[in-house]
Amino acid sequence: MTAYSASAPKKPVVNGQTKQGVKDRPFWGRLVCWAPYRALVDVIYASPTRQFIILAAFPVLWVLTQHLGPMLQMAVVSLTDAYPVAPSVETHFTFDNYMKFFGNSIFWMPFFRTLAFGVAMTFCTLLLTYPVAYFLARHVTRKNQLLFLLILLIPFWVGEIVRTYAIMILLGNNGAINLMLQSIGLIERPIPFMYTGFSVGVGIVYLTALYMLLPLYSALEKLPPSFNEAAADLGAGAWTRFRRVTLPLTLEGISSGCTLVFLISTGFYATPVLLGGPSTTTFAETIAGFFHVAGDQWPTGAAFATIMFLTALIMAGAFQKFISSLRKGDVN
Amino acid sequence: MTRYSRVFLSCVYWGFVLYIFVPLILMILMGFKDSKFIGFPIRSWTLDWYLGIFEDTEVLYVFGYSAVIAAFSTIVAVIVGTWIAVLLSNRGFFGRAVIFGLTILPALVPGVISAIAFRIYARFLGIEPGMFAIIWAHAVHNVPFVALIVLARLSTLPKSYAEAARDLGADPLVTFLRVTLPYLMPAILGASIFCLLLSFDDFVRSFFLGGYEPTLPVLIFTKLRSGMSPEVNAIATVALVMTAIIGVWAEQFTRRMNKENK
Repeated sequence: MTAYSASAPKKPVVNGQTKQGVKDRPFWGRLVCWAPYRALVDVIYASPTRQFIILAAFPVLWVLTQHLGPMLQMAVVSLTDAYPVAPSVETHFTFDNYMKFFGNSIFWMPFFRTLAFGVAMTFCTLLLTYPVAYFLARHVTRKNQLLFLLILLIPFWVGEIVRTYAIMILLGNNGAINLMLQSIGLIERPIPFMYTGFSVGVGIVYLTALYMLLPLYSALEKLPPSFNEAAADLGAGAWTRFRRVTLPLTLEGISSGCTLVFLISTGFYATPVLLGGPSTTTFAETIAGFFHVAGDQWPTGAAFATIMFLTALIMAGAFQKFISSLRKGDVN
Repeated sequence: MTRYSRVFLSCVYWGFVLYIFVPLILMILMGFKDSKFIGFPIRSWTLDWYLGIFEDTEVLYVFGYSAVIAAFSTIVAVIVGTWIAVLLSNRGFFGRAVIFGLTILPALVPGVISAIAFRIYARFLGIEPGMFAIIWAHAVHNVPFVALIVLARLSTLPKSYAEAARDLGADPLVTFLRVTLPYLMPAILGASIFCLLLSFDDFVRSFFLGGYEPTLPVLIFTKLRSGMSPEVNAIATVALVMTAIIGVWAEQFTRRMNKENK
């Protein structure tokens, strides 16, 4: 078809090219030609600094007000003697809320229980998922790796409450495990798994296992098999190879997995409420209690939450320091 | 030695798979039990609990309510997260490390503490607990995930694309909208599916900021506190199937995207 065919709309031809009218241009073409837009662009892009400030203004404002703001506000409220209050009432700054924490074992017992439990759960999750990650990275062909990993990822998408409920059904007095043990004849009466530290532990490992598995898997996958082969050529046995080669080189994955699992497991509220009993009250439950009763308890709750947050961050940092120090020691 | 370790490791793997799946499968089975009591053995089967969901307007309403919250919070999180990622992709500006640290802060705060901080902050700003407060809290919580996913994709964008666009006369805004954004689209879509699921499944923030209207996880939680019943199993199963399907689809989607990228 030529440009002169009768069916084609006639357009002015300048220098052999069809001249497009502004109307025929796509949306962007029209926008770029639009005078107010041009003026705006000229103002914004006059200098790279101005351009950058306009790009940065909104994100910086967002992270300051939305990410930092709530934490700061929580810290401020934890230092006041009453919140929320009517505008006419004067509030005073006080450390009483923090002092309350040390005064009563009802408060600090759950705190230390939660920390100890968090460390123990992190360790259990590590012990459980390391062989799984090792198997996936080392003993499965590359084609199957994705499939095997995808199988494990499916339950990862299911929510916290639904998975906690699934554990309740597994461990209940009429649950699957008790029924199985009874039908084998190992036990006569159901073992009361539920509402103990054990059931909370099983639930937390169940919910956090994949946060440990994924960093471990990616660390193990990056490790070239030739390292192990070289160690074997030098006469290292399987255990020595694992201890001197594999473990030190996956410490980064271990450290990020442990940090994630620890931070997540200290923040669970629904799981210990549903699976635990009075002897397993966690600090999350204690903190939440202050927000369900009368309003004047909010500052105490805020103070306790601040204590929890700072401790969790410090412990996570200590974790990483400890593990990286292990690594340095091994290189020397 | 190698053979034994291989057998041992594969046993651990399949044991782990069982540990992950058996509780969920048992929960799904329980929803078909023809009796109000949760527990084994199951003697007769029924579909009544599932059919009951479609007659229970409260449950249907809560499904819709959670979906609306997930949709709106995802839109906000994706816009803000992408914007932050574009800012962070500029290397070496003053305070980049601080902005980066603040960006991932909400992902590091343990669940209960972030929910309580938001509860206090909402009171401070005069926001009543309810739909808006949940959308807001979910959006803020999801921003770090979007920012990290989009930032990873941005780092693979060749510099020459933007230079070519500039040579052809595009100003930075048009370059972003016509070159960068289409390139980022797979990451943005993946991140939004991730956000949808996070928001749909989130319990703590919905619980503390929810007021009187429950989202789906909060509804299951309150029903559980008053006792287990096959009805709860049916509701939980529907939620499970929905999230699992979307999750698997998202997973394959990201894999395809990564393959195209290579």
